[in-house]
Amino acid sequence: MNLFQQLEYDSLLHRTRRHFLRDCTTGIGALWLASMTGRAWGAEGVLKRDPAHPLLPSAPQLPGKAKRVIYLHMAGSPSQLELFDHKPELAKMDGKDCPDSFLKGKQFAFIQGVPKMLGSQYPFKQHGKSGQWVSDRMPQFATVADDVCFIKSMYTDQFNHGPAQLLMHTGTQNPGWASTGAWATYGLGSENQNLPGFIVLTSGGKNPDAGKSVWGSGFLPSVYQGVQCRSQGDPVLFLSNPPGITRGLRRRTLDAIGEINSKSAKESGDPETLTRIAQYELAFRMQVDASDAFDIKQEPAGIHALYGTQPGKESFANNCLLARRLAERGVRYIQLFDWGWDSHGAGENEALSHGFKDKCQSVDRPLMALITDLKQRGLFEDTLIVWSGEFGRTPMRENRNGVEMKFVGRDHNPGAFTLWMAGGGVKGGFSYGETDDFGYQSVIDKVSVHDFHATLLQLLGFNHMKFTYPVSGVNMRLTNVTKPGSEVVKAVLA
Amino acid sequence: MNMRPFHFGVSMLVVSAFFAAKSPAWSAAASPQVEFNRDIRPLFAKHCTACHGGVKTAGKISFLYRDKALAEGKSGERAIVPGDEAKSEVMRRVLSKDPDDVMPKPDHGPRLTDKEIATLQQWIKEGAKWSEHWSFVPPEEPEKPKLKGKSWATTSADHFILSRLEAEGLKPSPEATPAEWLRRVSLDLTGLLPTREEYELFVKDRRKNAAAAKAHVVDRLLASPQFGERWASMWLDLARYSDTFGYEKDPHRDIWPWRDWVIRALNADVPFDQFTIKQLAGDLLPNPTADDLLATAFHRNTQNNTEGGTDDEEYRTVAVLDRVSTTWTAWNATTFGCVQCHSHPYDPFPHRDYYRFAAFFNNTEDCDQNDDYPRYTFADDPAKRDESARLQRESRRLREQLNADAQALSAKVTDWKPLVPTEAKASGGNLTIASDGRINASGTLPISVKYTLTIPVVAGMTAIKIDIFPESDNPKNAPERGQIFSKLTAALVVPGASNQPVKLKEVIADYLAGPRDPRKVIEGEGGFGSYPVMSGPRWGIVVLDEPLMAPERATVELVIEHGVASNSGVQGCPLKHFAVSATKDTRLTDFVSSTARAEAWNNWRTVNFSLKKIPGTSVPVMIERSRPSARETRVFIRGNRLTRDEVVLPGLPDVVQPPKKDGPLDRLDMARWLVGNQNPLAARVLANRLWAEMFGHGIVETLEDFGTSGAKPTHPELLDHLALRLRGELKWSVKKFLREIALSATYAQSSRTTPKLLEKDAANHLYAHGPRSRLTAEMVRDQALTVSGLLSTKQFGPPVFPPQPDGVWSTVYSGEKWNTSTNENRFRRSVYTYSRRTAGYPLFLTFDAPMRDFCTARRLPSNTPLQSLAVLNDPAFMEMAQALSNRMERDGGSPRQKIERGCRLLTLGEPPRAMVNSLAKLYDGALADYRADEDAAAKLGATPEQAALVLVANTLLNLDSFLTR
Repeated sequence: MNLFQQLEYDSLLHRTRRHFLRDCTTGIGALWLASMTGRAWGAEGVLKRDPAHPLLPSAPQLPGKAKRVIYLHMAGSPSQLELFDHKPELAKMDGKDCPDSFLKGKQFAFIQGVPKMLGSQYPFKQHGKSGQWVSDRMPQFATVADDVCFIKSMYTDQFNHGPAQLLMHTGTQNPGWASTGAWATYGLGSENQNLPGFIVLTSGGKNPDAGKSVWGSGFLPSVYQGVQCRSQGDPVLFLSNPPGITRGLRRRTLDAIGEINSKSAKESGDPETLTRIAQYELAFRMQVDASDAFDIKQEPAGIHALYGTQPGKESFANNCLLARRLAERGVRYIQLFDWGWDSHGAGENEALSHGFKDKCQSVDRPLMALITDLKQRGLFEDTLIVWSGEFGRTPMRENRNGVEMKFVGRDHNPGAFTLWMAGGGVKGGFSYGETDDFGYQSVIDKVSVHDFHATLLQLLGFNHMKFTYPVSGVNMRLTNVTKPGSEVVKAVLA
Repeated sequence: MNMRPFHFGVSMLVVSAFFAAKSPAWSAAASPQVEFNRDIRPLFAKHCTACHGGVKTAGKISFLYRDKALAEGKSGERAIVPGDEAKSEVMRRVLSKDPDDVMPKPDHGPRLTDKEIATLQQWIKEGAKWSEHWSFVPPEEPEKPKLKGKSWATTSADHFILSRLEAEGLKPSPEATPAEWLRRVSLDLTGLLPTREEYELFVKDRRKNAAAAKAHVVDRLLASPQFGERWASMWLDLARYSDTFGYEKDPHRDIWPWRDWVIRALNADVPFDQFTIKQLAGDLLPNPTADDLLATAFHRNTQNNTEGGTDDEEYRTVAVLDRVSTTWTAWNATTFGCVQCHSHPYDPFPHRDYYRFAAFFNNTEDCDQNDDYPRYTFADDPAKRDESARLQRESRRLREQLNADAQALSAKVTDWKPLVPTEAKASGGNLTIASDGRINASGTLPISVKYTLTIPVVAGMTAIKIDIFPESDNPKNAPERGQIFSKLTAALVVPGASNQPVKLKEVIADYLAGPRDPRKVIEGEGGFGSYPVMSGPRWGIVVLDEPLMAPERATVELVIEHGVASNSGVQGCPLKHFAVSATKDTRLTDFVSSTARAEAWNNWRTVNFSLKKIPGTSVPVMIERSRPSARETRVFIRGNRLTRDEVVLPGLPDVVQPPKKDGPLDRLDMARWLVGNQNPLAARVLANRLWAEMFGHGIVETLEDFGTSGAKPTHPELLDHLALRLRGELKWSVKKFLREIALSATYAQSSRTTPKLLEKDAANHLYAHGPRSRLTAEMVRDQALTVSGLLSTKQFGPPVFPPQPDGVWSTVYSGEKWNTSTNENRFRRSVYTYSRRTAGYPLFLTFDAPMRDFCTARRLPSNTPLQSLAVLNDPAFMEMAQALSNRMERDGGSPRQKIERGCRLLTLGEPPRAMVNSLAKLYDGALADYRADEDAAAKLGATPEQAALVLVANTLLNLDSFLTR
């Protein structure tokens, strides 16, 4: 019942920053201390955060093994059947009519009537000491298979990209909820105040289908939303000084702003003005630190060879290298979106035989490089890497408009997909859960999106049931209050 | 006092003790008696309602509703027996030492404290008087407070404010300087800074008569065309207005004429009750005007999912439910959305009520179509708008009449004879014929699948009837995909001769609904059937040109062509279960060939022709489906649209005193109730919202939630007074209401605060000083445009594209481009900036503007380094800084004079010497730098002096005194 105690007696939800200042006259130092000793956690997992310093690092509820997250989202959803979920039985069905039992009561995005079954288009082999199955599309990645923890029994209840991506990142299919990165940054703050705590990098030429809502702060304060950084122009919008304004001149500007604003703060008595002065100084530091963090030209040739990076280009490889640089600098949550995995077969660029092949090639080396590089820098143990799409693909060949298509592709499949994690707190060389003989439905040790979220939070040091934020009287949580029963996948924890 | 007897499960003896005492908590302050809202409701909420509330009612006990708390529980005991704590089971349970018996259960929560137990006991002893939560109790005019200091207050609101300040031992702050007040009131009422001339005039007028001078300013601002542009932003947030559909592709939507309507309506001070009724039910008003129809676009601001393969019915339902939540949030500040999945956890709304309310919105024609159907053409020429609206309604009426006349005749036909095809072929998939003639399709049916049926000839056949059946007879089942065919042709097949086409004349439908006209199946590509989902069995009759003359050995070949797809055009909707029958009744052929009938069709065509001649913008609006095609609304179990329960009719929750009417209520009744005297919420919610816009926070801080979980009013009497005044004497006039606030003594105070005040009331909830808050996202940009002299005051029209960084728009599957405006559109007010849901204008998002995905009742202002970077470095702001420096330069003089000129644009009065000094120091330093680095200088100005002045202008736009109001 503490939830209601919270609501009735503690108006934290409605607290503006001015309220907070009133209540926290003891100063920021004391507050910071409270965060670090865990005393910032109120009843029912509501975190008391100082809106004036919203990104100060804060200790989680439990000791978490992962201190930061690099989340690699393959937007469009790669086929598990061509990469990690080896299904020899499906090969035997290739070209045959899909059995009725696969179709009854199912809704598809594009498949009509009775489609044909489609065996994997690429051969599989076991790799490493742990014998993980990886197809021949990921030869580089296969060399680090012993560091990776596969969950092959993921499932979702959304079969369209936008809603499924939202579910994967916010715990619900509708816009307006807080993203995983926002939760993590809200809960843990960031270790580098001169950079955004939650950074988003995109490649593949497009933003994710669900738009910016997948890294939005939803009902959390807007400072926790992801900051999309760009590969061309300023990495952070408006980071550079305009032409004709040197850093020295900018310093002069800020001195003037500081002088005048201090005076207004004194006259108005408004503490918000003091915060504004601090934000301008922070912006000034961010100009240097962010530019530096995003300058991959500083990397030695060996690193470029490892990742396959080319400075100045928009690529997944560049983003992986940036992710490492940001992780090194204490950014809490680094979210990559790589667009172009929607292998329907409706055109060459989305055919399993063409577009998909190219996409695999563009991520294979960088994935290996990221794991290898984090390991050699001692960051692997406390950085959690997640790789996933938003759903899986059908073991049936797509027959858009009810006709056989020129290229080979697969439709969306919410029933089964593969997600892998590596690093901070998960077992390496491990595979969890199974799909049926055709990779169509998860059947053994099924993991829902909410279970995955519970696990992710556990790794970061949060009990997902007790990490909440009150909204209109409901203690919201990442694992979606309207969907009870989510569980941490304990078997994958190291 | 308005009393309502409570009437379930309690013997008559105790009823008298249980009249709902409807006085809210605060009016019984300082009573030694236990007060339900103050003492007991929070106690229940803290310890009991998680299990005995709205979501769970363990033991059949709920502490949310009087009747359920006082009735017998499952155990046969009564939890509360008024006046008798010994017989009240609740007392025994909270006192129990037995861990299996005590409440709350040990693993659910701690025991009640001794003080809580004593309070509960006293409350029961005193008769367990119950009252509704304050916001559900109708407002009552409070007594005017008695004041010690009489001279300060100028408006009735001031009396309440001062009375509270006196009670707290505080004094109001001194009056703001003319510059401070004028800046504040101008930004608050019009979103724009006053000009230097306006300031000087005000200062002059003030010397003659201060009160009259202020009233003159306020009246001028309220009458300004810019008023509506500033206040529209507030309403557009609530309406989740955007220029795109939302979701994946997020394509363009032409709905800006509605945004213009909002601005015009605010400027015209359309009373809020009318403003409400037009937006929620303008289409149902008798003889609606063009504006009435346009206003209904309010609820077409819902998102529309065009991603390939998304279920149209699913996203239609999402839109309907969004309308429910939005209506309750915007008008009633009630978290009604909770009730979608279960009864409200702590406000008195049962689960079923959500769907009864949803039924008001569940019968409009829109169904997540890629063309945003249905739309209505708003004429470009204001003089032709009402005529165009009339013609559009007339066209619809005539078309309905054409069908109804034919239907009346077809109802008399009795000799329908089933036609069992001798052969049924499909170009894809399989067709099978059942013994009763019913045809079933299976397998892979391409979107454009073609069926060819061979049927025995019926000599003298005058019409063919097509019956379409749903797969399931159980209406509770999830909606199944629609069945619709786009074209029908018939031919006579005589062995040894070539096929002769059979002429088809007309299609009579069981009803007209959806985006396609059935007549088109014989005129060309059209569609008959149910779309996008089945709504029960359907029938249509295709009448022949003349009775069929045919030799006996002949057969008829019917060709049914498909081509209509749902779910954003990827899932075919071919016929799956259907049957064909024929009649020989010649009344049908006679009727469709009559001259009267031809004339009726001509009338309709003439109306359509006249309509086509009036150009306009086609805007999505609300159009109600006709009665025979009405959708039924069912309760969704746990909010899941696929688990459907009982059917419900439109209705309102009991707690809000719904109007009485024979027959079900409709959307218009609902809209009228919202702004009627029976609704305890809407007037309070609007008064609070307008207050919050002026003072930076509401009397109820949670603008979005007046329920149990929301904040309590800081000045409950004032809120009731304002609500009643707004709804009563001011007749819902927003302008008159704002005028009173703007001219109040409370609003006129200096915003300066002191450490002592900060300690006592940092958030200024007592209003001991004037408001001071950061500019809204729109104001930040509009103000910079104003001081730089670039602002275009051109009003209305399609959204514009001021400069934004490249690459912000890179939405999937969308070729739409941000083509930066080069003419005055570049400098239009921010309300006209293109609003794209998935990629908002970066500056606005940085300054806390919402993404407009859903109804937003309150923006929470943040203060971040990204804001600093934007105003410092955004090229759009540099363009304004350039223009501002030109203004500073224009009349020449010394650098210091130029700087003073710039400062004065911000501060109105004489700028503080310290400000000018700091800027002069900056100028000198910058000038030295630029003289040393002429390349850098050349990028900002023709001379180092000019460059240094641009830097000063850039700095001015970043000052705290610029960014706050």
